Amino acid sequence: MSQVQTSTGPILTTDGIPLKVSLKKAERKNKIRAFLLVLPLLSFILITFLVPIGDMLSRSIDDRQINTVFPKTFEVYKKWDRQGLPSEEVYKTMFFEVKNSEGYDIGKASTRMNYSKSGWKSLLKKSKRKFKKIEEGPYKEKMISIDKKWGDPEYWKALGQMVDPTTMGYYLNAVDLKYDSNKNIVQQKENRRIYNKTWIKTFKVSILVTFFCLILGYPISYLLATLPLKYSNLLMICVLLPFWTSLLVRTVAWMVMLQQKGVLNNLLVMSNVLADENRMQLMYNQTAVVIVMTQILLPFMVLPLFSVMKTISPTYMRAALNLGASPLHAFYKVYMPNSIPGVSAGCLLVFIIAIGYYITPELVGGKDGQMVGNWIAYHLKTTLNWGLCASLGAILLAMMTVLYWAYNKIVGIENIKLG
Amino acid sequence: MKRAIKAAFFGLISIAFVGSAIADITFVSWGGAYTASQQKAYIDTYSKGSSITVENYNGGLGEIKAQVEAGNVTWDVVDVLPDQAITGCDEGLFAKVDQSSFINDMVVPPVSECVVPQIFWAYTAFYSKSAFPGKKPKNIKDFFDVKKFPGKRGIHTWANALIEMALVADGVKAKNVYKVMSTPEGIDRAFAKLDTIKDHVVFWSAGSKPLELVSSGEVVMSLAYNGRIGAAILSEGKDFEYIWDATVLEQEYLVAIKGGNEKEALEFMAHASTAQALADQAKYIPYGPMRKSSIGIIKKGEPWFIKEGGNIDILPHMPTAPKVLKRAVIADPVWWADNGAEVSERFGAWKGN
Repeated sequence: MSQVQTSTGPILTTDGIPLKVSLKKAERKNKIRAFLLVLPLLSFILITFLVPIGDMLSRSIDDRQINTVFPKTFEVYKKWDRQGLPSEEVYKTMFFEVKNSEGYDIGKASTRMNYSKSGWKSLLKKSKRKFKKIEEGPYKEKMISIDKKWGDPEYWKALGQMVDPTTMGYYLNAVDLKYDSNKNIVQQKENRRIYNKTWIKTFKVSILVTFFCLILGYPISYLLATLPLKYSNLLMICVLLPFWTSLLVRTVAWMVMLQQKGVLNNLLVMSNVLADENRMQLMYNQTAVVIVMTQILLPFMVLPLFSVMKTISPTYMRAALNLGASPLHAFYKVYMPNSIPGVSAGCLLVFIIAIGYYITPELVGGKDGQMVGNWIAYHLKTTLNWGLCASLGAILLAMMTVLYWAYNKIVGIENIKLG
Repeated sequence: MKRAIKAAFFGLISIAFVGSAIADITFVSWGGAYTASQQKAYIDTYSKGSSITVENYNGGLGEIKAQVEAGNVTWDVVDVLPDQAITGCDEGLFAKVDQSSFINDMVVPPVSECVVPQIFWAYTAFYSKSAFPGKKPKNIKDFFDVKKFPGKRGIHTWANALIEMALVADGVKAKNVYKVMSTPEGIDRAFAKLDTIKDHVVFWSAGSKPLELVSSGEVVMSLAYNGRIGAAILSEGKDFEYIWDATVLEQEYLVAIKGGNEKEALEFMAHASTAQALADQAKYIPYGPMRKSSIGIIKKGEPWFIKEGGNIDILPHMPTAPKVLKRAVIADPVWWADNGAEVSERFGAWKGN
């Protein structure tokens, strides 16, 4: 039975409401229900993911820790030409703002000031105590007689980079640059240039780890995907067992294996491959970080690879071989392109985890294996320079975003597959 | 039956309520033999009603600051280093303490108004006697002399004490170390001295690691916390020998976190800082009490250190023993609070290059 729609008006349902409206109504209900179902997850992500990231980003440029404590000083400070020592007026305003400060603001401010010039902390503390006894000027002279640091232009110049309530200073700091007293961007002192090297090292280690994971993970995944079930299950357990073992245990096991008087070196010496005095230094350096991280992150490469390879039908390869391709050619032309989604997923996953790694470099990194994560932890815990931590973190985040974008342009994100 | 279950249920709830009438405290310290000594000396003996949960941390004010800023304080009493005691007190992370009961009894004045005294400990160089059958290293110069005493050295991954030791090894008198360190040339000089052993060092960060490194022969000499060396010698019978030269003496304090259970925390801290409590702690670990009268108690009670098969005199193992103190550098927490970040970055650059 064929019915030809002749009328041009809207299609109506039996109760006379246009079908479109009725459908929309039904759909809206479904949409709301779906939204309500997702709501807990959405709010969870919002609270535990987006809010902290927003907080981090705002901390990385926030410089109010000091501006709110010395507002008047900074006002008169801005008029200073940054030559020699500031005028009596600047000293006087500073004097009263220190003397009359209450609570813990000055302590927090001094921590901040100490980042740009070491020594502010004790100077302010001592001054706060001694200023109580001073009733009248000249303040400049009296302040310098309390501590000669007040007469050192370097301290005053260091304030120049903090005059605004927001700052890019932490970001500069994170790439070995800084503001001078006129807020021009200059290089950090040579012996404090450390972050650029650390960034390069972090990238190098992450790339090496990703590379080795791929080289090692690919054949394993291939075996897992192609072996008969009873063998592949056993192999799977071998992959997963370390995955379930504590990270610390595995790291310490590597220490035992690789240290100078460790298992590997001992075996090599015993079998006369190495002389006793030429034992290899495999632990507490960058080599150790790469070795241990590769082993720890290997499952993150194997699992996505395996799940993709599992879906590649063996008939493709057979067909290629049947049509006269050599095994190598068939692999290269047929199997590998099919496994690319797994490769990209694995590489991206391993790289992302590796770039922010902290505990393994801390334990086995020794002298040259420290990565950005270690510096973030140091400033977070010891110097309380959270602005710098936040900017280091934000740069990491930005790098990952750029990487993701480039990946999407080159490979296409829809090609990624975890199974 | 149902009624019985109900009764039991409400009973449990009421117990829970009675239990929480006096707040419990969380005590946070560094773990290992050190926390064990605190546990035995004054946590187990505490009977004021608060039950005490012990947690470990790795130092630093990061977690504390996060707790205080978020208004979610779960730590009540924390064992801190002196520069952190200063910073935390200045930034309002710690509660102020009534110090009248001990302030006149202390070996050095307390670093801030927020602390009660604990112990002195020291970065100390040591070696295994078996590593040097002939001539033995005697001072910090020998530690920095890889020609005279070849072999690897174990040092920690941060800059504290290393700068001081390097300067003493370079000929600076212990009492002038901080004067030299306050000049840029002084720091350069320290790093130049560190350069001389750079190719021969193995880094450690956990307190137990240097003992392992020396035991296994991975290094021939190492720096370590003196208490760990002492515990290994006294309790485990290791053949370690201290190099009591240019030891860097550090202080250790307890603080109460602001916004935690302050009242109970302060009560507990008063108990944990009595002369007797500090003396008792030395029964289990060879760190030096910060109260003068504790040393008197120990002197009278020797052999004081508890060991199976006979107690041992503890005073010679302390970093505050007079003959050790004469050659020690007393760490200046104010200098480190000021310059720690800058020197650490430089140290990081030194390590990585």
